[in-house]
Amino acid sequence: MNPALIVMAAAVALAQQSPDQNLFNTEILPVVSKACAGCHDGTKAQSDLVVTSLDGLIKGGRRGAAIVPGSASASLLIQYIKGDRGPRMPLGGAPLNAAAMDRLARAINALAPRAATPASGREQHLAWLLKAPRRPATPAVSGSSWVRNPIDAFVLSRLESAGMRPAPPASPRALLRRLYFGLIGLPPTPAEARAFLEDRSADAYERLVDRLLADPRYGARWARHWLDLARYAESDGFAIDGERPAAWRYRDYVIRSFNANKPYDEFVKEQLAGDEAGGGPERLVAMGFLRMSTWEADANSKQQLRQDFLNEVTGTTSAVFLGLTAGCAQCHDHKYDPIPQRDFYRLQAFFAATAIEESNAPFIPAEDPGEMRRRFRRYEDALETATAGLDQRREALKQRFMAIRKVKEDHQTVKDFLRDLGVRNAFFQERDKDILDQGEWKSYREAKDQVDELTETVRRYRPVAYTVRDVTPPQVPAIHDTYVLQSGELAAKAEKVEPGFLESIAGHRNPAVIPFKGGSSGRRTALAEWISSAENPLTARVMANRVWQHHFGEGIVRTPSDFGINGERPTHPELLDWLAAEFVARKWSVKDLHRLILTSNTWRQSVENEQAPRYATDDPGNRLLWRQNWQRLDSEVLRDTLLSLSGRLNAAQGGPGALFEVPADVAEGFEFFKWFPSPAAEQNRRSIYTFQRRSVVDPLMETFDVANNSGTCARRIPTVVAPQALTLMNGDLANLAARHFAGRVTGGSPGESIRNAFQAALQRDPSPAELDRAQTLLARDTSGLRHLAVVLFNLNEFLYLE
Amino acid sequence: MALNSRRQFLYQSVTGVGGIALLDLLRGDLAQAAPTLGAPAGPHHTPKARSVIFLAMLGGVSQMDTFDPKPALAKFDGTPMDWSKEKLTDQPGLFARKRVIVASPFAFRKHGQCGMDVSELLPNLATCVDDIAFVRSVQADNGNHPAAVFLMNTGFVQPGNPSMGAWLTYGLGAQNRNLPAYVALPDFRSIPFSGAQQWGSGFLPAVYQGTVMRWKGDPIRDLRRPDDISEETRQNQLDLLRSFNAEHASRHLSNTELAARMDSYELAYRMQTEVPGALDLAAETPATRESYGLNDPVTESFGKRCLMARKLVEKGVRFVQIYTPSQSWDAHGDIRKNHTKNAQETDKPIAALLKDLKQRGMLDSTLVVCTGEFGRTPDTPADQKEQGRDHNIKAFTVWFAGGGIRGGSIVGQTNELGFKAVEEVYHIRDVHATILHQMGLNDLRLTYYHAGRNRRLTDTGGRVIRSIIG
Repeated sequence: MNPALIVMAAAVALAQQSPDQNLFNTEILPVVSKACAGCHDGTKAQSDLVVTSLDGLIKGGRRGAAIVPGSASASLLIQYIKGDRGPRMPLGGAPLNAAAMDRLARAINALAPRAATPASGREQHLAWLLKAPRRPATPAVSGSSWVRNPIDAFVLSRLESAGMRPAPPASPRALLRRLYFGLIGLPPTPAEARAFLEDRSADAYERLVDRLLADPRYGARWARHWLDLARYAESDGFAIDGERPAAWRYRDYVIRSFNANKPYDEFVKEQLAGDEAGGGPERLVAMGFLRMSTWEADANSKQQLRQDFLNEVTGTTSAVFLGLTAGCAQCHDHKYDPIPQRDFYRLQAFFAATAIEESNAPFIPAEDPGEMRRRFRRYEDALETATAGLDQRREALKQRFMAIRKVKEDHQTVKDFLRDLGVRNAFFQERDKDILDQGEWKSYREAKDQVDELTETVRRYRPVAYTVRDVTPPQVPAIHDTYVLQSGELAAKAEKVEPGFLESIAGHRNPAVIPFKGGSSGRRTALAEWISSAENPLTARVMANRVWQHHFGEGIVRTPSDFGINGERPTHPELLDWLAAEFVARKWSVKDLHRLILTSNTWRQSVENEQAPRYATDDPGNRLLWRQNWQRLDSEVLRDTLLSLSGRLNAAQGGPGALFEVPADVAEGFEFFKWFPSPAAEQNRRSIYTFQRRSVVDPLMETFDVANNSGTCARRIPTVVAPQALTLMNGDLANLAARHFAGRVTGGSPGESIRNAFQAALQRDPSPAELDRAQTLLARDTSGLRHLAVVLFNLNEFLYLE
Repeated sequence: MALNSRRQFLYQSVTGVGGIALLDLLRGDLAQAAPTLGAPAGPHHTPKARSVIFLAMLGGVSQMDTFDPKPALAKFDGTPMDWSKEKLTDQPGLFARKRVIVASPFAFRKHGQCGMDVSELLPNLATCVDDIAFVRSVQADNGNHPAAVFLMNTGFVQPGNPSMGAWLTYGLGAQNRNLPAYVALPDFRSIPFSGAQQWGSGFLPAVYQGTVMRWKGDPIRDLRRPDDISEETRQNQLDLLRSFNAEHASRHLSNTELAARMDSYELAYRMQTEVPGALDLAAETPATRESYGLNDPVTESFGKRCLMARKLVEKGVRFVQIYTPSQSWDAHGDIRKNHTKNAQETDKPIAALLKDLKQRGMLDSTLVVCTGEFGRTPDTPADQKEQGRDHNIKAFTVWFAGGGIRGGSIVGQTNELGFKAVEEVYHIRDVHATILHQMGLNDLRLTYYHAGRNRRLTDTGGRVIRSIIG
């Protein structure tokens, strides 16, 4: 435990600290962190005493308050360190010197005396966090007519306490855009927009919500949020960045799961232990979740590689499902949360038998097995032909080489020549000029590329799952033991641990009871059951919070994968508890959560509140939700929208992804593979169906802040950078889309064309001023409509949802 | 809205930090930039350097064939190498084979007033030694290329962390409103592993990532407007965009990101005009172009990028990084052939860059750093026909020039066979600490809060290499 870190953490804590807190930070903490925190930090808390916070000292431990603000002599801390009370502290260590004792005493005396206060801050948060939520009562509010469902009651109750009023409802047009982009990630067609905006029936809004939730494009939109969390990619990363030909099946599994509204607890169990719950191809594919991270295929130490895998799976499982940073306890006790290092390895032990595996997994009906088989055969046949052709060329060149150089087949130079022909990124060798010229060499390379491309493509259609399985006796003598690793070092094994749940939640550190799962270890099932239990205090809250986050731009807990001490406190803890309880009561139905949230008045608020100048001073972060938050179209939605508006979106669903076009020199610039863009028709598939190679990011996606898939991503950070402007003004996608879009919206007159364009892109008519200016643009140039389209695609109004 | 509350609002807004930094940078007013979590706006102490040019010699340059002559190699040439006493946690498999020591095929001479040893591979750089500080005793953590390159760039062996350039831009902001503050110039014959992540912003806001430029064709992706859009049309489009956006923003004053985005279009437009001009190599004298090797296909690629770097730094770009092709210096097979080829491509341009900077009075304010991701071994597998060298993380040479560095310094020593740093030993993060220091930043204080911790380029802190600072 590094005292310096505790001191630094306190020092770095944000401003607006009380004088008492300052005093604690500067005079008390430096002393106690060195002398006392070894036994009395947040994790060990010997005798229930935590000395690393002011609250902890005031609250004290089993023997009572450690300090009495204003009176050093009455403070137990001073009595123990002086030896007036036994045992003298620090226990087993050298007593503090006079200067240190004096410093503590003077600081305690300078603290403002206060009445005994109940535990606050850290302790309060942990008490809330680590106990399963009970459904709280819906609060009463004055403005009860504003309450459509309990969400509104909880929010309004806080607003009323703060003397605030919610914003008026957003316009139907604003709601229309939010729903379409939020639920299916695509704009409404002009007909769909018109149908909604002209529908005067009372339940038009609710019916739109239901319709979009039932739309198969919903799964494609919402799967993307989960794939960010799952650090989804179809390659290993690192140097070789080898492809994972079957990984796309996991992506489709997630899409299907969202569309089918698979209960979340089932979703969790399938991804962690699908094989142990009766297997079947879909469940095998689901466990791809455990394998999605990077993999250093050429790692020097296989043991370290294995340990890296285990560490990553442990940390990510904790972050994604439990919203806890247990990964921080890999090398030492968690510095802030009550997660000892031992708990990290007890969690890891659930995976001790888990080995990576490529299993046979026949395509299920939803994956269109007939089509997969057809394509497999087609590509296999083509590969066979291409390979035969290539072999012929090789043979011919070999013979030619042998003839010209007058060497026999087994001569080293023949082998070198053939080897060089096959090397990727090879350059034409001047020394081989007499054997073949550059033209013929290029032709050979093209033939080889074709073989390589077909080899890659065929593999994607094999009915295998990128998955895991447990290796247990009698296949091995025993499941590997798990040890706490000092400082996370493989070579420094400390105590052996058994699989067990986090002590701070379970209330004990006994090993978990492992159900028998003949053929497998049962460990992952035990973990999955514990995580997905209705009694787990975290799982439902964490998922409800994530859903909330995507509808509001921020979660109720704004650090969605860190509900611990260093994360943000919930802005509405009772609301979150209520949502969690409701989520479980409705059998973990995510669509029900959507409905609840989207039909609330809270969600339907405008982004504008006339009291904003005043409210923004008191609550600049809009934590109390006195208005709705602006959200920006993320990269996938932007790209899909441009394609959709151009009329060229390829709506094909599922299957291996499309490889996007890149500049030729970029395609050649990869050491271990060549990038073979997919045929033109495939280029326009929805972004979720693009091939996700770690080392090759689509520049449009990258510049619009796609998630960094090296690790789990709970929240993308949108930025505003000049290259975005360049891409959207000058880039191919936007300009090509504008060209086609212009063709689609052309009407009988310039005015009609302009109106069509605004309706299609923005779901409204142009204002007279806009119409006027646009008409001037069109009058100047026959391609004016196309130029206008580019302008529309670059508008703030296009990119930001109010 | 008053400035204070605007700043507050931006600080707390949903889209947070990235928006502030850019908005205030765009206004060219660093003092106004709201304090981001942990880092102050502007430097911690008076900087010596305003810009950094980082030369990444990918693959791992052999120290004993360039700057660290080891007579023992010749003495023991061909004799077995015994690694058993070394605690090798890295690459255990490689060292299980029988290996023999390889003498350097290159002759060394002392150069300059400082008497620095430079091999015959680098005749041009040898004439600059009095402006260079050599540190022969640097170490790294991981002998695998991608991990080692990540360490060199980001301070960590795993991907996902911000690169040096991103940290620098985050700490100091941009000097030139019309150009990206951080430019990466990879060699497109073979881009470094994990490409954009090497110059990425990691968990820092994306605005701090490096912008890739190319030495052939369009320097920045999508920089030029499409061929079928005239300048007049573009102006009309921008006018329309401005007026529609302004009207929209006037109805939504509470969202200041709208204004930031409008500003980004102005910046993009200025970049369109400024970048080609800034990089107009034809504007250089024929003598300059020749000195960088632009007329020779061997040195053209690296030379052009060195010249671009000088020009970018002249225009105020903070951090320019030039890469050789991935693994280019990775001489497992034939040390003579490999290093000769790589030196031929890079030696002349690098020397030209140093002399050009000096002659223009830019060297004092420009820190030039040159390194690979690790060094090389004194030995090679016994059954290998060719004489090569393998990866070695326990010793390699990093050199610095300009930016307040004391030229002619020679620091640190390796052991007899040159594979282990033994005196005044440093780590790559100390190189990072030194770079930050010369740029006016304290590596301990430059932090960003992410996933539960205040993060740094140097993790728990590095040591500034004081013995090379003037």
